[in-house]
Amino acid sequence: MPAFPYLFYNTFFPINITTIAMMLLSGLIVVVVMRLATRSLDVRRPGRWQNFFEWAIEFAGGMARDTMPSERIVRTILPLAFTMLIFLFVANWLGVVATVSIKTSTPVPWLGLTAARLAQAHGEVPLFDSPTANMSMTLSFAFMVWLMSHAQGLKTPRRYFRHYLLNPMAVIEEITTPLTHGMRLFGNIFAGEALIGVLVGAPLMYLPLTVPLLLVWLFYSAFVSTIQAYVFTILMTLYVGQKAYSESLSHH
Amino acid sequence: MFEFGTFVVSILTFLVLFLIIRRFGFDKFNNVLEKRRQFVIDQLDEAERNRLAAEQHLNEQKQLLEAARQQAHELIETARQRADEQAREIVRTAQDEAQKLLEANRELIERERAEAMNTVLTAVSALTVDLSEKLLRRHSGDVEHQAMIAEAEAQLGELVC
Repeated sequence: MPAFPYLFYNTFFPINITTIAMMLLSGLIVVVVMRLATRSLDVRRPGRWQNFFEWAIEFAGGMARDTMPSERIVRTILPLAFTMLIFLFVANWLGVVATVSIKTSTPVPWLGLTAARLAQAHGEVPLFDSPTANMSMTLSFAFMVWLMSHAQGLKTPRRYFRHYLLNPMAVIEEITTPLTHGMRLFGNIFAGEALIGVLVGAPLMYLPLTVPLLLVWLFYSAFVSTIQAYVFTILMTLYVGQKAYSESLSHH
Repeated sequence: MFEFGTFVVSILTFLVLFLIIRRFGFDKFNNVLEKRRQFVIDQLDEAERNRLAAEQHLNEQKQLLEAARQQAHELIETARQRADEQAREIVRTAQDEAQKLLEANRELIERERAEAMNTVLTAVSALTVDLSEKLLRRHSGDVEHQAMIAEAEAQLGELVC
């Protein structure tokens, strides 16, 4: 395992600095590109970036409409679906574009880089990778979705609790769903980066073998990164939509 | 290994990013989308209205054209009738006039013939009288002669009248 820099490493509250920094960078990229697009908004003649973002909104709206019971809740969830889609897209792609690590043997105790950890990671400290290659981060997203879906369900408590009374096994689902939701994203992105790391770090004598494999794997990772942003977002709309009993009552 | 700090800070970071992206990105794009949607709807509505107006206009024009055509037809018909009448009137007048002229001429001819006849009769009677006088002067006296002339004149008068 590479030695990530942490804040509060030895407490119950360790914060992965690289992950949070990469989240901020993803957000910054999104905001900057958006700024490019919003600088010259035009109803009649949209520019290239405006077109792209409008397409993304339509796309997120299409996903939500496919999985949610009413247009009203689609309208409510659309900003979040759109943000998640483009944020995860950028975040997933960061690790495909580049992963940067530094090699150091100097321990930095306040960043949690103890001598023992550095020795175990052969001095490799990652500074640039996908934030979604961090399990805690993807699980936090899944947890947010889980909270939202239950908040949506509790708008109609009778329907909500009756669901679990009729089918107690559904409680298990409530535990596995956020876990698989978060771990799926983490696993796909982490595996992509890990294999890239292995291929790049292979001994030079395997170069004729690793270069084509690396190219293939980069393409595949790019594909997976895009797909996982889509999958995570559509599952989000699906999970929230499933518990939108109030909407399905009034519309079916 | 699960990192509780990363977990919590990720949520907070994402919420902040979400608010920023929503406020400065999503809302603006959505606004434009909404405006465009409204614009398209307005355009469609207006096109529909224009189409209806044009249709109505066209119908009006058609009706007007039809009315004008009918009026023209009537006018032509009336004119033709009047022309026919006039022509008949003219022909009749001309015939009458010709008739009158004919009558007058016939009368004139008659009168002149009668006059000529009179003249001829007068001349013939005078000649007859002269001839008879000359013949009778050899065979009878004046008395007889006067009586015969009177008889001849009386007979001539009957003949002439």
